[in-house]
Amino acid sequence: MSKSVLGLYNDPNQAADAMDALKNAGFAQGTFDVLTGTPYPEGAFGEHVPQHRLFRFPAFGAIIGFTLALFLTAATQIAYPLVTGGKPILSLFAMLVILYEMSMLSAVISTVVGIVIESRLPNVNPGVYDNRITEGLIGVVITTDDDKADTAIDALNGAGAMEIKQA
Amino acid sequence: MQQRRTIDQIHTNRVLLNGQLDTPKWWAPTVIVLGIIVAIGFFLIGIMVNKGLGVTGLSRPVYWGLFITTFVFWVGISHAGIMISAILRLSQAEWRRPVTRAAELLTVFSLLTALLFPLMHAGRPWRIIYFILPYDFARGIMPNVRSPLIWDPVAISTYLTGSTLFLYIALLPDLGNLRDRTTGWQNALYTILALGWRGNPRQWKLQTVGGILLSALMLPIFVSVHSIVSWDFAVTPAVEGWHSTIFAPYFVIGAVHSGVSAVVTMMALMRWLWKWEDFIRPEHFDALARLLIVVATGWLAFTFLELLFAVYGLDAPELELRDMQIFQWPWNLLFVTFLFTGYIIPVGMWLQKSVRNNIALMFWSSLFVNIGMWLERFMIIVPGLARKTPFVYTWEAYRPSGLEWFILFWSLAWVTFLMLLFSRFFPLVPLFEQKESQTFGDSIKIGRVRVPAIVREAD
Amino acid sequence: MASEAVHSGAHSGVHAEAHEEAHHELPARVEPDVTTSELIATTEANATGVRNWMWILGALTLVGIVVAFVKVLIEWSDQDEWGYTAAMVAFLFSAFGGAPLVAIAGTLAKGNWVRPIARFAALCSLVSIICTIWMIPLILNLPMLVVDGARRRSIWFEGPDVSPHIWALVAMITLIISALGLIYAYAIPDFAAMRDHSTGWKQRFGAWLARGWIGTTVQWRTMRMRIGMMGTLYFFTFVFVHFIISTDFAMSLVPGWRDAIFPMYHAISSIQAGLAVTVIGLWAARKYLGLNKYLHLDQFWSIGRLMFAFTLLWGYFFISAFIVFWYGRSGSDQMWIDYLILGPYFWVFILAVLFIWFTPWWWLIWNRVRRSYNGTAIGAGLILLGVFLDRVRLYVAAWTVPEDRIHERFLTEYPSTVYPDVMDIFIMVGALAGSILLILAATRVLPILSIWDVQQFNLLYRPVEYMKTKVSLIGKPD
Repeated sequence: MSKSVLGLYNDPNQAADAMDALKNAGFAQGTFDVLTGTPYPEGAFGEHVPQHRLFRFPAFGAIIGFTLALFLTAATQIAYPLVTGGKPILSLFAMLVILYEMSMLSAVISTVVGIVIESRLPNVNPGVYDNRITEGLIGVVITTDDDKADTAIDALNGAGAMEIKQA
Repeated sequence: MQQRRTIDQIHTNRVLLNGQLDTPKWWAPTVIVLGIIVAIGFFLIGIMVNKGLGVTGLSRPVYWGLFITTFVFWVGISHAGIMISAILRLSQAEWRRPVTRAAELLTVFSLLTALLFPLMHAGRPWRIIYFILPYDFARGIMPNVRSPLIWDPVAISTYLTGSTLFLYIALLPDLGNLRDRTTGWQNALYTILALGWRGNPRQWKLQTVGGILLSALMLPIFVSVHSIVSWDFAVTPAVEGWHSTIFAPYFVIGAVHSGVSAVVTMMALMRWLWKWEDFIRPEHFDALARLLIVVATGWLAFTFLELLFAVYGLDAPELELRDMQIFQWPWNLLFVTFLFTGYIIPVGMWLQKSVRNNIALMFWSSLFVNIGMWLERFMIIVPGLARKTPFVYTWEAYRPSGLEWFILFWSLAWVTFLMLLFSRFFPLVPLFEQKESQTFGDSIKIGRVRVPAIVREAD
Repeated sequence: MASEAVHSGAHSGVHAEAHEEAHHELPARVEPDVTTSELIATTEANATGVRNWMWILGALTLVGIVVAFVKVLIEWSDQDEWGYTAAMVAFLFSAFGGAPLVAIAGTLAKGNWVRPIARFAALCSLVSIICTIWMIPLILNLPMLVVDGARRRSIWFEGPDVSPHIWALVAMITLIISALGLIYAYAIPDFAAMRDHSTGWKQRFGAWLARGWIGTTVQWRTMRMRIGMMGTLYFFTFVFVHFIISTDFAMSLVPGWRDAIFPMYHAISSIQAGLAVTVIGLWAARKYLGLNKYLHLDQFWSIGRLMFAFTLLWGYFFISAFIVFWYGRSGSDQMWIDYLILGPYFWVFILAVLFIWFTPWWWLIWNRVRRSYNGTAIGAGLILLGVFLDRVRLYVAAWTVPEDRIHERFLTEYPSTVYPDVMDIFIMVGALAGSILLILAATRVLPILSIWDVQQFNLLYRPVEYMKTKVSLIGKPD
């Protein structure tokens, strides 16, 4: 059985110490995390800097959108070939706006999907939490086996946790 | 000029969530009054659909009148959101923080409103569907992708979808906050909407990187939308005064002018109504006014170029049109009003530091701008149509009917109504941005003085 | 804005993708006395190398001027022979004239990163002198407003016959005055530093120009106001000169070309080129003057982003005009496309689009490129080439329209392609060499980075520890 333990801190420095203490107690990076109500400069808690692949999403989206738009604009004009102003049926400049908008729309949608996925949301079973984190407390949360929970609690307490919650 | 002071997170939550957790007393009566106006407006629109466009002042040869003007006007207002939120995010301007959410919201609601006007204007709104979907499969008749009239819905729906998603993504941390502060059905609602937000470094990182990436994607969309609206006019050589290469950037910069002014109006109201003096401060108005001076002057330069190169060709009909637009009654009155309200009065005011820091004066000056900018659109669209052109056998001046004026008024009430409804459920000032500015705000000591400073992450 | 790197910053832009890259250290602060002595020393640095270059550039300039005189003697009456000179002047003004806007805009927006580069950007405005000199044959060769009793369309309407000529001169002289004013307004504290730390004629020169500067609070305050005023003046003159050059020296020479966006298009591509010139100048300063301590990735990265934005803006301004003409069905609308795009300079146009827009777009879009010194410099080179080709396609096409057809409603028969002859090439090379020479000579007197701006940068910049990470603190006075 794995267990989720949360230590709450008033002072961000204590939380940073707690992260160190967990690292020193032999817990692997990625099993513990820091929860804050506001962004802090990256690495402020000595945490592992998260990697992401967000930048692939808009590129992928734009390609999909562009292809769809090309199909839509070309197909409608070929299906109803009305010559306007002596211009060719498939005039790139007349199709440009649709191509552009659909590529951008698709890029934005896929970026939003990317943000949600890369944020690991929706998070259906988020584990132990405390409402006061959005009021300024810093939470250090660790998920570990039952038998190691006490070590974790000791590490969290050692850094000066004002409260420990378990679930 | 730093007016920032240290505010703890509990206080920030209490004050900035007062619209949701502790709804002000004025809220319900205001929403009811606005709701009545909105209902009357929908009723009148119903009458118009039933009786036909005869109830408006539209007649040969002016078929694009107040509705299209108001459509362009609201699309213009919608440019505030992304302008403020994206450009200031990308340039890391600190003063953007309390402004972004309200600005994005204005984008969403004004676009929703703008979309309604072409629908009304069509007279038989359900037939708009023929614009967009193939309507006669048997004969293979397809919507004409070469027509600017189909570009419009494509561009606007892209912008609307994009800005709504943008708004939602930036709401996530605040939804998590609301979830923590509420109980019962509200808690259930926010729990679902917050998607299990916890506030770990990964989520914050994606929030910021994603915000910047979305800003970078939304900016080109924002520029394209008003350009495409302007091409409704500019690619039409048949109407004098419309066929100008400058229309796209001219419309965009005009939109930024009116949109940012609308943000000023809104910020003043927010500060007064929700008593957010600690968060929406004179320094923010000062920064917006400085930005507006630059934007307004750029816009004036475009106006000048537009007029200059209209007469540059020395074509008689164009000269006649400009003569009418500028010198003949009643257009001359409109033109002078437009120039004074759109530029001379507001910019004259903003040049004074005392005005920039005076919220009431900023409020009124921003209203002036939008009167001027509405008139600008009216003066672009209508005069060209009102001229005698080949194949038109009758022409007369266009005078909007009472119903059209009411619908213009209705649209203002409608946007306000939507905003107030939103404010009941979601915070208008991004809380996490406020808290972030507290975390990242610092000071450095130089000699005897402490200079406010900002933390920039190494990268 | 933070400088090079410890972690990829959640807050500092689209560059987070680059976090696999080497983690750079935050740049160290430089003490004021070191700054003064090292930057003063740059005016003497690499003396032989620079002197050799100055000789070469001087010789090229001289050859250009001599060739121009020869051209005046043998080809004076042929207006179409001056198209390439016009293109070169337009290019030089666009590129070097646009650079100071980087300094002005950055200063007005109170960006700290812009401080070390403001001097070089401002110095570029000196090229207005070269442009004015080369404007003289162009002004003399520009057709009168009324030719054989017929008046062409112009922004001067019913104005006197010589309005374009007079106003071009007025505009250029105003530009020179505001450029010198701008440089001087930025440089007074540095003249004082020269007075106090140089020797010989430089010391006397510095003492004369410093005007008793000792750095009192009042002096600093007036200086800031003066920079604001000169910056505004320069900006408005810049816009005015673009307006004059683009309309009188290009648009009004082609009958039927009525393009309201063109002056703005001209100015936008000029800012794009100005950014590029700044990047190349800074790159050279790092490479040849060893100013690595003062010029960080942050500057290149910031300008790189701006270059990218202006590259996209070029596309936008171009398509805004193009689509209106493309949809228009009048003769003059068709003429614009047929002559200026598909006409005799079609391939120049294609190359121009490639270098001004397409390649920098797909090059500078990569954060890894923008976060490298060479990458941004290559992007800048592409842009400069593109802007030059764009000016060639517009100005040579405009100057080859025969004088007797210039007042027509629109052009119906298109002149054929004019290629540059040997004299054109010498003139163009000479004008470019003269511009570089002038800036190089100026950096022998004034340090290429402004001493006081660099000191101010370091005063407001602090690399600090923030809990377990390193960040920079940027002071925001006022």
